Amino acid sequence: MPAPVLEVRSITKQFESVRAVGDVSFEVQRGEILGYLGPNGAGKTTSIRMILGIFQPDAGEISIHIGEHSGRLLKERTGYLPEERGLYSDATVLDALVYFAELKGLSRAEARPLVLQWLGRFDLHEWANKKVERLSKGMQQKVQFIAAVAHKPDLLVLDEPFSGLDPVHQDLLKDVIRELRDGGAAIMLSAHQMNQVEELCDRIFLIDRGRRVLYGTLDEIKAQDGEHVVRLRFDGSAESLSALPGVKDLAIDGDRASLRLERGAGPDAFVRSLPATLAIREITVTRPPLHDIFVRTVGRESHEAR
Amino acid sequence: MRLGSVIRWEFLRAVRSKQYLFMSVFIPVIAAAAIIVASSQDRSAAQSLSGPPPAFVVALILAMILFMGAFLNGVMALYGVVKEKQSRVVELVLSSISARQMMAGKVIGLGIAGLIQVAAWVAVTYAVASRFTTISLEALTLVHWVTYPLYFALGYLLIASIYAATGATMKDVQSGGVGGLVGFVAYVPIMFAALIIENPNHVLVRIASFFPPFTPSVMLLRLGTAHVPAWEVALSLAALGAGVVVTMRIAARVFELGLLMYGKAPSTRELWKWVRARRPR
Repeated sequence: MPAPVLEVRSITKQFESVRAVGDVSFEVQRGEILGYLGPNGAGKTTSIRMILGIFQPDAGEISIHIGEHSGRLLKERTGYLPEERGLYSDATVLDALVYFAELKGLSRAEARPLVLQWLGRFDLHEWANKKVERLSKGMQQKVQFIAAVAHKPDLLVLDEPFSGLDPVHQDLLKDVIRELRDGGAAIMLSAHQMNQVEELCDRIFLIDRGRRVLYGTLDEIKAQDGEHVVRLRFDGSAESLSALPGVKDLAIDGDRASLRLERGAGPDAFVRSLPATLAIREITVTRPPLHDIFVRTVGRESHEAR
Repeated sequence: MRLGSVIRWEFLRAVRSKQYLFMSVFIPVIAAAAIIVASSQDRSAAQSLSGPPPAFVVALILAMILFMGAFLNGVMALYGVVKEKQSRVVELVLSSISARQMMAGKVIGLGIAGLIQVAAWVAVTYAVASRFTTISLEALTLVHWVTYPLYFALGYLLIASIYAATGATMKDVQSGGVGGLVGFVAYVPIMFAALIIENPNHVLVRIASFFPPFTPSVMLLRLGTAHVPAWEVALSLAALGAGVVVTMRIAARVFELGLLMYGKAPSTRELWKWVRARRPR
């Protein structure tokens, strides 16, 4: 396996008495999207800022491997969409974007066509010479995204890229993110919409209270979680289902029911134990959605901490 | 090359701003008026607007102009940083360049804008004043032409770096910063301008010439009104240069740490801790 583009080893950051990030390690490969998840205040932004060299970790190591380069951060090969959006509001869209590309080491002549191309892609070409402050929030969001990607970064960090976008533009952005991944970028994506994360991300890192709680591919995480979600339509009475081994959270609504199977109570055993009195018309057994795992894991963590 | 981009960006933003245009017109008009009034002072009313202005008036006005330039551009650096902090642009900028590059680019870019502005002020002031008085630049020697720009440039660097660092510690433009007071020290000599002009070689004035925040204004006033020994000029420039290096280092450190602190502004004690803290890299 080639060296990962981003390699984070045991980084720690302390602010006064608060340990914002403790002993966090992960990596992001070329052509991969890592979902970097966590509740508010879990230490996501702090770790992202360390990765981008905005501030230094107290301990641990962050190394970058791009082509022949191996070692310290290459700011010019990195793209960043911050959670707190900000652009020069009194500058024109084109000027601001060319300037940010220049800060990444491009010449003005190189930057201009790239920026214009991206503005076209996002339907903003008519706004190129308008001031940033005149743009709607969604448009500014797209401009901010262009600032992160115009210089073709090898490592791209996207913090909440979907917030403030309508569904059409969310889909457009998803397509673009997939293209960038297919083009070889290593992408770290932080988002609160778990369905988007499930659609896009190859692997997941879940951070809570500054520590790693889950890390792996979606399948691994779901297998590790071990629970299953069952949905069914039936004739007769489904009340008896709650007595079956491993069944919890049974919810019945007319001729529909949903329930969860505890870890260890596999779908196989469940299906075999279904009572003959219940006529099943439809049934699906799936791994739980990431959303449920997130809520359960983070909820449990905060419960245990008390 | 990226530093060049920052300098260019800051310079263009400065010269395109409305304040810049306004000050470019406003200041020379005031300065020229002052020279005209001074020239007519000791003459009979009939002869008004004809004689040459006294040398000290020219010196004082030059000192004021240079200082005004340093001050205005320092304040522009401060506002620029506060705005970048408030609009969170700073996060994106720092993911591309270091805080030091950012500060250097800002200070140099605004400095070039300031230099051009000051040159324009002097030229316009002279043009207007020479129409109404017999002002001449003969009193200005090579020493003046060489040292004045140096005092301006170094004085500007001192003030601008203090102001840029102050901006980095401020939450918004309303909240004060300790650095503003530090920067104010540099204007103290202007308040005593009349005394300095009358006693340009008084021992206290000579000592003040070597105290970096006072150096630019005190020396501009002294050089305009009296002969100052060459060694004093050299020593004052050396002291000022050293002061600039030290100030810029401290300012860069405060700038770096202040930029990402949102919420409350740091106390003086916290600032001191930052300055003394070892650099993490």
